[in-house]
Amino acid sequence: MWKVCKYTLIDLARNRFALGYAGLLLLVSLGLFLLEGDPTQALISLTQVALALVPLLTLIFTVIYFYNQYEFTVLLAVQPLHRRSILLAQLLAVTIAMLVAFFFGLGLPVLVYCPNAAGWTLLLTGAALTAVFTAIGGLVAVKNRDRARGVGIGLVTWVMMVLVYDALLLWIMFSFSDRPIEPVIVPLAALNPIDLARILVMLKIDLAALLGYTGAVYQQFFGSAGGMLVAFVALLLWVLLPATWAVRAFARKDL
Amino acid sequence: MDRIVIEGLGKRYGRQWALRGVNARFAPGEVVMVIGPNGSGKTTLIKCLLGLVRANEGAIHVQGREVGADPTYRATIGYMPQLAEFPRELTVDQLLRMMNDIRNARSGSTDDRLIKALGVDVLLDKRIGTLSGGMRQKVSAVLAFRYRPTVLVLDEPTAGLDPVSAHTLLNAVQETRRNGTTVLITSHIMEEVQQLGDRLAYLQDGRLRALLAPETILDITGETSLSKALPKYLAQLPSAHVESL
Repeated sequence: MWKVCKYTLIDLARNRFALGYAGLLLLVSLGLFLLEGDPTQALISLTQVALALVPLLTLIFTVIYFYNQYEFTVLLAVQPLHRRSILLAQLLAVTIAMLVAFFFGLGLPVLVYCPNAAGWTLLLTGAALTAVFTAIGGLVAVKNRDRARGVGIGLVTWVMMVLVYDALLLWIMFSFSDRPIEPVIVPLAALNPIDLARILVMLKIDLAALLGYTGAVYQQFFGSAGGMLVAFVALLLWVLLPATWAVRAFARKDL
Repeated sequence: MDRIVIEGLGKRYGRQWALRGVNARFAPGEVVMVIGPNGSGKTTLIKCLLGLVRANEGAIHVQGREVGADPTYRATIGYMPQLAEFPRELTVDQLLRMMNDIRNARSGSTDDRLIKALGVDVLLDKRIGTLSGGMRQKVSAVLAFRYRPTVLVLDEPTAGLDPVSAHTLLNAVQETRRNGTTVLITSHIMEEVQQLGDRLAYLQDGRLRALLAPETILDITGETSLSKALPKYLAQLPSAHVESL
């Protein structure tokens, strides 16, 4: 597994998309910190941008990379290697490459301009989202033979998580505004990794107060050690479940 | 002892059988040309042998080991796919090192003659993304022969190669056969089939319709070239006939 991972990383280190991704994040991060006078305000804007951009670009890059590597993956599957090792190695390599690009592009500016708890939370949740959407991208590529269909499913997945899921939550909150539904909304928000990441960063910036009672419930739940553990486990499951599914599907797949 | 034994092999995609009731035995040092029209099951047969697709019926044994979940039997197999695609940002040298690492090949244990014969030695520092399709095909040929396989599977190996490189490759096939390697080659070029094949395996609609020496077909039909003899031979076969092995 490590042999395949090592050479996939060498390949990814010179990949123009990965380098462009790091450059884009660097440009956006530096732009926001330099244009905004207040680093906290810049971090809030960066959070909104990063929580949409990181999942999208990670997901699409992973899907396209896996399709581009398909013929070579078939050649690897003819070598004396277990299929699960091949896919795990490739998933690990893409995750590492995207994490390096993320920390270079977004991590360095955040650590320079906003090295506080909120900044660190953005970096950690961003890193978690990178792993989550690499795993989802791998699953999408393994389950769909057609490239266009795979990219389409990737985009729909992203739209569902970034826009549709939020809209549904808002609709539920609006429809049941006369009832105490916050205890339901908190776990529902935690089911979406992007929402979960956003909540964790907002709590560290003390924006939860602006959300009224809902914010208080978030603060009460995720502010506790138990809540943090639930958040960590939720994000971990978002990595492990699609990755395991992808590896199992790849092991049984006709190539 | 036969190197490859195929027994009652069947593969279905959905309701469509791509391969059905295939029985065959291939000996060490034998070159078998796998031919047939498009969609006849050639690729599926090869993929079953390589463990890339799972058969719905029957089994394949390579050197007495059943093709299945255990990938170690593939250490004895060399494979040259029809389409040679590798990680674009690796150099040829890095690709060769990667395969050495995967195969746990020690220095000096590999067969590097094709590297020079095909001119891959001057490409070692080049990134694969900068190579033409033909150059990548040469690299693919090098990888297939490099680990001294006892079973060599070549999928339309000369497609995309210049005539000189194709000639070099076919010579390498002859040489490796003399060393006892069983070679399976898919091809649409009848001259290659006639020149190289000890036997040809003709597939049609997923069935193995003939498995015999090209000379036998020439003798039966009275033709001198296989491209004329094969259609004549097939026309006289009953539609459900499967050559007994």
